[in-house]
Amino acid sequence: MKRIMTMLLASALCVAVGCSQAPNDKLSEAEKAVMDAKLAGAQAYAAEDFAKLEGMLNNAKKEMDDQNAKFGLFRDYGKTEQLLASVQAETPKLVEETAKKKAEAKDVALKAHAAAKNAVKKTQALVAKAPVGKDRAAVEAIKNDAKALTASLTDVQMAMDAEDYLTAQAKAKAVQDKSLALSSEVHGALAKVGGAKTAKAEPTTAKSTKSAKKKK
Amino acid sequence: MTRLPSHVLRAAAVIVALSMPLLSACVQQAPQDLVQSVEDMDRQLVMAHSAEFAPVEYSRFVQQWVALKERLRLDDDVIGWPWEENPFETDLRALQEEGSRVLALAKDKHKAERRGAASHIARLERRLRRFTNRVDQIGSRVALGEKRVETELLVKQARSFMEQGQFVHSKRAARQADERMASQAAQLNSELGRYADRAQVDHWRTMVRRTVDWSRQHQATALVVVKATKRLTLYRNGQAVASYPVRLGFNGVQEKRYEDDGATPEGSYRVVRMRDRGHTDFYRAFLLDYPNTDDQRRFQSARKTGAIPAQARIGGNIEIHGEANRQLSQTLGCVMLGNRQMDMLFREVEVGTPVTIVGAVDVDNTVAVVLAQLDQGGDDADEDDADPSDEQAMTDETIVEQS
Repeated sequence: MKRIMTMLLASALCVAVGCSQAPNDKLSEAEKAVMDAKLAGAQAYAAEDFAKLEGMLNNAKKEMDDQNAKFGLFRDYGKTEQLLASVQAETPKLVEETAKKKAEAKDVALKAHAAAKNAVKKTQALVAKAPVGKDRAAVEAIKNDAKALTASLTDVQMAMDAEDYLTAQAKAKAVQDKSLALSSEVHGALAKVGGAKTAKAEPTTAKSTKSAKKKK
Repeated sequence: MTRLPSHVLRAAAVIVALSMPLLSACVQQAPQDLVQSVEDMDRQLVMAHSAEFAPVEYSRFVQQWVALKERLRLDDDVIGWPWEENPFETDLRALQEEGSRVLALAKDKHKAERRGAASHIARLERRLRRFTNRVDQIGSRVALGEKRVETELLVKQARSFMEQGQFVHSKRAARQADERMASQAAQLNSELGRYADRAQVDHWRTMVRRTVDWSRQHQATALVVVKATKRLTLYRNGQAVASYPVRLGFNGVQEKRYEDDGATPEGSYRVVRMRDRGHTDFYRAFLLDYPNTDDQRRFQSARKTGAIPAQARIGGNIEIHGEANRQLSQTLGCVMLGNRQMDMLFREVEVGTPVTIVGAVDVDNTVAVVLAQLDQGGDDADEDDADPSDEQAMTDETIVEQS
């Protein structure tokens, strides 16, 4: 009799446990879906929606953990499954939205990059006009700045290549702003240099020019 | 089989007929306008970055909303008593209220975050301005090369990200800008640290004392240039008789290491040639005997250790000269004075006059003070760090003693 009772209890327990299996497969699928959205750039281009999706996944995980912590007979993964199903349902919409926003960001970044390149090119052309010799001192720092701006354009391109269009936009805008500021500084320096040339023109002799060109 | 009496059948038919409209009146559906309004609320919560700014509250909302949506899907119609409230309507209204609270909280926190970020960027911009002014004050813009613009670009990016609400990106750019400034301050401290080094300053002071002693012993004229103060002092018979502001190389405060580095050399020199009008582009000039033996030894040693480029040359033609153009604020390594001061010096100086150029003669010199300020960084006082313009400095002539 005792043996029959034990067997009955065991089978009841098995049924109970069998009915409340943790939805690990569904969790893996939902995690994969969130990861796919992340790889598609959702975190950067649809940050708010991605945060929501991640929040839902975390909710599902927390709910599942809560259920796992309960005694087998009392586990109920219904809510977990609901949350996981919502994650799965939201992901394709998010991926689609991300692609759209990414394309828009790319377009803006391309324009900003082109504008920055143009601004740097103009600045470089201005800097190239600066004469060497004693007058070089006035534009030495500006040349360094122009060099830095040219190098920064490479950073913008790298961000574009990495499809990080938001960073590319911000960098390109900064480069463009600084190029414009530098251009006006170059104009100022060239004006000074122009003054120097005029001042030097009168007393300069072949001999003195030679002395000015010597090493320092 | 017994047939039911007809009056019973009639009564049953009446009951069924009466209960049909009653039953149909009790079928309760989710009010679509409420469902839509909770949908809208969810969207607003998403746009307000609720997952970021009110994570716990928003997660509770999402959990309830997901569960309710599932109920809406499964229990399309619910049957209830006519006097009972529609459970969907009650839950949707409760959820909407909950959403409004979360939205208000998220918006508040978002605003606070934005204010914090804006204030941080403003502090960073002030710090960059101060940093730039200080670097200019000690004439070290060129020494920092491209790093200065890189830092400026990072600060601009931080602002741009902040304005777009990308606080994480903004903070990252701001942090990088901070790090760049710290590394530039460290670089300048390493290159100019000797200005704060008491032993080095004592050595410079000794050099100056020897020059003054020489002037006294030989009853002759000597010149002393102090780079930190950007001043040239004329000594006659051991007495300081005049002091003039000067301009130095574009890397003037640095130690001269090789040709074209824009630094003004430090050491004990002599005037080896006097170049009058027509023999120099810079009004009048005294050519110094740079490089002297000390300079050559230092140069060779630096080349041997690889501290300077292998193809570097030692340079020369270091002069004390007048102005070609008042607008030029720096030289390539020479010491530049106003033309009036050059006229004055031309009457006092001759070939062989000693010229001692040192970094500083006191430990609290401008360069040391600015280096300490750069090291502190921070966003303490919003002082202006006004740099007296060279134009003004050039007219700031001091006659120490009329003879």
